[in-house]
Amino acid sequence: MAYKRSIDAFEFYNRAKTGEKCSQDDWDLMHIPMKAMELKQKYGLDFKGEFVPTNADMTEKLFKAGFDMLLEAGIFVTDTNRIVKYTEDEIWDAIRNPMPEFQLGTGRDAVTMRKRTVGDKRGPLIQGGPTGSPVSEKVFYEVHMSYALEKEVDTIVNGVMMTVRGYPPVPKTPFEILAAKMETRLIKQATAIAGRPGMAV
Amino acid sequence: MIASDSHEVSQLNELKIDLDAISVIAHYHGNSDILMDEQMPIYGGYAGGLEETAIIDVASSINAFVMSGASWHLDGPVHIRWGSTNTRETLAVAGWASAAISNHTDFMQGNQYYPCAGPCTEMCFLELAAQAITDSASGREILSGVAAAKGVITDKTTGMEARMMGEVARSAAGVDIAEINKILDKLVGSYENNYGNAPAGKTFQECYDVKTITPTDEHVKVYEGARKKLEGFGLVFK
Repeated sequence: MAYKRSIDAFEFYNRAKTGEKCSQDDWDLMHIPMKAMELKQKYGLDFKGEFVPTNADMTEKLFKAGFDMLLEAGIFVTDTNRIVKYTEDEIWDAIRNPMPEFQLGTGRDAVTMRKRTVGDKRGPLIQGGPTGSPVSEKVFYEVHMSYALEKEVDTIVNGVMMTVRGYPPVPKTPFEILAAKMETRLIKQATAIAGRPGMAV
Repeated sequence: MIASDSHEVSQLNELKIDLDAISVIAHYHGNSDILMDEQMPIYGGYAGGLEETAIIDVASSINAFVMSGASWHLDGPVHIRWGSTNTRETLAVAGWASAAISNHTDFMQGNQYYPCAGPCTEMCFLELAAQAITDSASGREILSGVAAAKGVITDKTTGMEARMMGEVARSAAGVDIAEINKILDKLVGSYENNYGNAPAGKTFQECYDVKTITPTDEHVKVYEGARKKLEGFGLVFK
């Protein structure tokens, strides 16, 4: 059935207020494991000890199982205890219309994210950084510069500053905002001093 | 931050979201920001075993583009017992899910790195190398890391781990997949009995000259040793 319009944050929000009711425990302990088990059996999934698949048919079955999981289970919204469902056409709409290749960063430090394939001869981009690991305030700048100085690194992923002006960045306090601002500014400064001011974060 | 930086929003485990995140998505779209949708499915968690977790991974990956209108999805299947993305099981979840998405969509995908061992140890380099091989061979577009020491110890991350991630990913690109699986089997077998007593490694301040931002001789030596070991497992560095 044709969809009225593409899914966006506003349509998702509206469905989050009207979708089927469900408790979080039921979702976590019943819906998710039972549907996943059902789909594994339906598609006869067995990875046979391979890290990367050599069997294209089995890979397609996994894709179909994942698609069905999203279609049949939906997404649970923790604030409203409701399930947001998509139609099959709405999911295909997103699959058929992804963002094409795009640029991360600016100037000579910009890199382009391009579609790769299994066994592609081109290497992937490298987003170097602490990936959410805790980093002390006194070496935050230096730690991030150690990534920006590596030519293997294309963009930066940040660590989490443990204090800001000596205070812990407790969520929902002004120190949380200050920490977020300071992290970004220090990383941008670190990439600039490393000679890569246009590097994406 | 500017529009061409990656702006993050995170899904919750498994196939869940909160409305704050939906508001954040509306904000990013309103600014035309590059949007990175993140989710780390848990192997051994609500979904259960290997294939079940991979099903959830594929569903979460598709949802990144349906719900969030993401520019790219940052994955990260993680082991419930070891808190690591580098185990045999979590690598298989990542490898299969990536191949399924890569073969059947034009979505851009990344993966994040949480080895058990800390920086300046051979095990840390070997763990992250296994994931870089898996991710590069299975078609991912971007690798994100490395959160050494499971990403929970202060100052235990350095640029050298990212260097290894890049060198290995480039070297694994284009290698026959059957050969990739053989290399990974030997490589993962070399460290998988050591999760419980993984070496803690050193802090950034202990393995870098903090003033000049230069790795210590010891750090470079450990790096070289790990590189040689990877060559022994069959990886040809390019």
